[in-house]
Amino acid sequence: MSTVIEVRDLTVAYRENPVLWDIDLDVGSGTLMAIVGPNGAGKTTLIKTILGLIKPAAGQIRILGQPYHKVATSVGYVPQRGSVDWDFPTSVLDVVLMGLYGRLGWIRRPGSMQRKEALAALEKVDMVDYSHQQISQLSGGQQQRVFLARALVQKAQVYFMDEPLQGVDATTEHAIIDLLQVLRSSGKTVVVVHHDLQTVSSYFDEVFLLNIRRISSGPVSEVFTDQNLKLTYGGRVAIIKEPTS
Amino acid sequence: MSAFHWEIQLVSMVVATACALPGTFLVLRKMAMMSDAISHAILPGIVIGFFLTENLSSPLLILGGAVAGLLTVALVEWIRKTDRVREDAAIGLVFSTLFALGVLMIAQFANDVHLDIDAVLLGELAFVPFDRLMLFGRDLGPQALYATGIVGLLCAGFILLFYKELKLATFDSALCATLGFLPGVLHYSLMGLVSMTAVAAFDAVGSILVIALMVGPPASAYLMTHQLSKMILYSIILAILAAISGYWAAYLLDASIAGCMATMVGVEFAVLFCVAPHQGLLVAWKRRRHQRWAFAIKMLVIHLLQHEDTPESEQECRVDHLQDHLAWEQPFAEGVVARALSRKLIRSVGEYLELTPSGRNLAHQAMVHV
Amino acid sequence: MIEQLLGDYTLRTVTLGAAILGAVSGVLSTFVVLRQQSLLGDAVSHAALPGIGLAFLITGSKASLILMIGAGIAGWLGTALVLLITHSSRVKYDSALGLVLSVFFGIGLVLLTFIQKSSLPNQAGLDSFLFGQAASLVMEDVLTMTVVGGLALVVILLFWKEFKLLAFDPDFARSLVLPVRWLDVGCTTLLVVVIVIGLQTVGVVLMSAMIIAPAAAARQWTDHFGMMTLISMIIGMLCGTGGSILSATTSNLPTGPIIVVCTSGVVVMSILAAPHRGILWNKIRQILQNRRLRAEAVLLDLFDLAKQHETPEYPHMEEVLRVIYPQSGSLLRQLQGLQSKGLVMRNEHGAWALTPDGVIRCHQLIKERTP
Repeated sequence: MSTVIEVRDLTVAYRENPVLWDIDLDVGSGTLMAIVGPNGAGKTTLIKTILGLIKPAAGQIRILGQPYHKVATSVGYVPQRGSVDWDFPTSVLDVVLMGLYGRLGWIRRPGSMQRKEALAALEKVDMVDYSHQQISQLSGGQQQRVFLARALVQKAQVYFMDEPLQGVDATTEHAIIDLLQVLRSSGKTVVVVHHDLQTVSSYFDEVFLLNIRRISSGPVSEVFTDQNLKLTYGGRVAIIKEPTS
Repeated sequence: MSAFHWEIQLVSMVVATACALPGTFLVLRKMAMMSDAISHAILPGIVIGFFLTENLSSPLLILGGAVAGLLTVALVEWIRKTDRVREDAAIGLVFSTLFALGVLMIAQFANDVHLDIDAVLLGELAFVPFDRLMLFGRDLGPQALYATGIVGLLCAGFILLFYKELKLATFDSALCATLGFLPGVLHYSLMGLVSMTAVAAFDAVGSILVIALMVGPPASAYLMTHQLSKMILYSIILAILAAISGYWAAYLLDASIAGCMATMVGVEFAVLFCVAPHQGLLVAWKRRRHQRWAFAIKMLVIHLLQHEDTPESEQECRVDHLQDHLAWEQPFAEGVVARALSRKLIRSVGEYLELTPSGRNLAHQAMVHV
Repeated sequence: MIEQLLGDYTLRTVTLGAAILGAVSGVLSTFVVLRQQSLLGDAVSHAALPGIGLAFLITGSKASLILMIGAGIAGWLGTALVLLITHSSRVKYDSALGLVLSVFFGIGLVLLTFIQKSSLPNQAGLDSFLFGQAASLVMEDVLTMTVVGGLALVVILLFWKEFKLLAFDPDFARSLVLPVRWLDVGCTTLLVVVIVIGLQTVGVVLMSAMIIAPAAAARQWTDHFGMMTLISMIIGMLCGTGGSILSATTSNLPTGPIIVVCTSGVVVMSILAAPHRGILWNKIRQILQNRRLRAEAVLLDLFDLAKQHETPEYPHMEEVLRVIYPQSGSLLRQLQGLQSKGLVMRNEHGAWALTPDGVIRCHQLIKERTP
């Protein structure tokens, strides 16, 4: 298992206030990792900084052994659903095609080849029937699937997803998790910002506990302990353990 | 120096004060552009009022303008509620349409009335002393002084009476509603005051420079203080300063008085933007330079703390590794280490750095503090 | 009137200019409205005024290209200042806009009054930029507008997909390593360019309407980005043409305001009457749906009442039904409506009963409503 994402001593500051302190993060290939922490812990900031959307104050970030801008075509990104205007006049297929803009380069327009790829990605999230729908007519779960398809069409090695399970229905949640596990099994690396502590152990291999600084990280079975969670959430959390039968 | 000069300055000071009062709340409520919308949209109200009274300083005009202003607010609200057009586009559409209607009305009846569109938009303070208030054959001074003075007093009275409600509605509209203070009513009253002030002031400074006086001084004051009462006070002082300095600049340049007043508003803001205490660019720059070191020292101690007693500490805590791992330039890294050493936060053990107790303390504090 | 249009040089020039302006601003307005930059447009157009004055002071020329360049630089500087203020102080976006707008305008006024009172030759007509003076357009101006506007359109077409992504999801664009900052600067620069093109025709005060209204209207008619841009362009062009003809054929109707009123009229009409999004249609759809639901309720009540009898087609008097709907005056109307669809019938005693079709429909409805 080779290291795919390597973050060293990453510090991010907004104006003069630190939002991430001295973060180290290593993720190997074929890993499905959850980033977990309270609100304002810097989960989204961490992802955005790795993707070059935020400039760090210090530290190093390597993806596939390279700086981000050199391997951007191998990285897929699913932003938070609420970050865009869903009343934008565009169709589902159009949104998925946007995932190909990076590979297309300047000026060239997506053609039938790209359309086919986009449809294939929509097939994977079971949204082909909606490809010509306007995006405002979709439910929350469907919007999330469209965003996922847009990342899938990037045919990336590494995926970063910001709260893909936030506010989706149970069917979509299972469909998305199945898909993430398929990606993982085919050797991709998937990093997911996740908020639901109850499902961490059943969905993910590894977990990264974050609250401004790294609390702990590693395999879920080792790291996801009451003590670590208390450290992360400041003792205000109790995880309901499912009875072991 | 003739009486005219004093009268013009007096009127401009009163106008500036009257504008700064409701303007403070516009700026704080992130609705500064409503002054733009309202000051344009009152035009048809003024025109209709003028047709009826044939007098640009009539109180009826102020009423007409206030109605037009409130109509703008209501229309924007209505369009926004249909959810078909976003609020910013709705504002832009409503006021430009109302303004265009006003211009068309003036053009249609241009031959019958003496209302010049330039006069409405640009105003001319220099003519203010010629329009006098006569009562029982006695000359009581320029009419504009009374119009703006009364509206200014109205604004001041409203703010004094409802100070705590306005403060609450501005900073926490939801709480205000749950306490039963009707933020909607406060909002419309404030918008009504903005409209009335705009109408009263347009005659003197023109409708576009009303915006400068409503937004400029409060925005400058906002750079100086966090306190509402002080912000109002500073706004008024800055507005009066801009009015007087603008007047004299216009006198020297022989240019539009209102234009010069707006320019002075801009100058005030530019100066404060650079040198304001706490907020100014200069102070921020100095603070950032200082904080860069402080921040870096904190980073260093936290870095050392994170790797204390870990197997890789030998690697991580070497001076030359800081450059690699924290991506610091060599001189900067050396500077940080030197400063941390001199403050006895760390000590060097051979090639390694080690936290002192006070350094460990700082690191813990820094992490708890965030 | 066509003859008049073709024959009159001034009218032809003005109409052509207004049509081109409408088309270009129509295209740009799509981006402005979707990126929520409507009020920035207003600020830019006001901020352009000192640029016109300075360009004239420096060059002494009134050639439209030179004044446009001056206005463009001032407008662009205004935008940059708004960004600077919001980025490096706690003053909010709206205050920064209002401040830049009014202060620049004030400086512009100072310059214009200064020029007017100076003894510079050839200065008359500069103040026509305040409200625009379409009648002063000459063929050369229209040519400049065409070339500059055409260039703007070419740039938009070339970077179509990048600008679209910028408008929809700038963060995702940045994750694709697109130079989002430069695209943003480019898009805003195009906005400045288009505003500057319109100043002579519509004037600084009303230009903002030209870059909001066409797209606000077009959005109601389509859910497709490209189509929206096209419709917006057509609306801009038609309103430009229509407004300038109206202004020329009626006395005392200045061109700029009438064009603005035309486009706003189209917006109102679109919000009300556009299919799918129009609020009138929505109201009608709602009323129809409510009516259908009420009729279905009556039908199902008949079905329920008949359950107590051996046949679902058992007839009931209107009075019995009225017990269920004591307030409804429309019961008879509902029943007659159902009758005309052949779902119920009235027997010789005046009692109402389901027809076989009505029974089938009831079964369908019950099936539809059980999840």
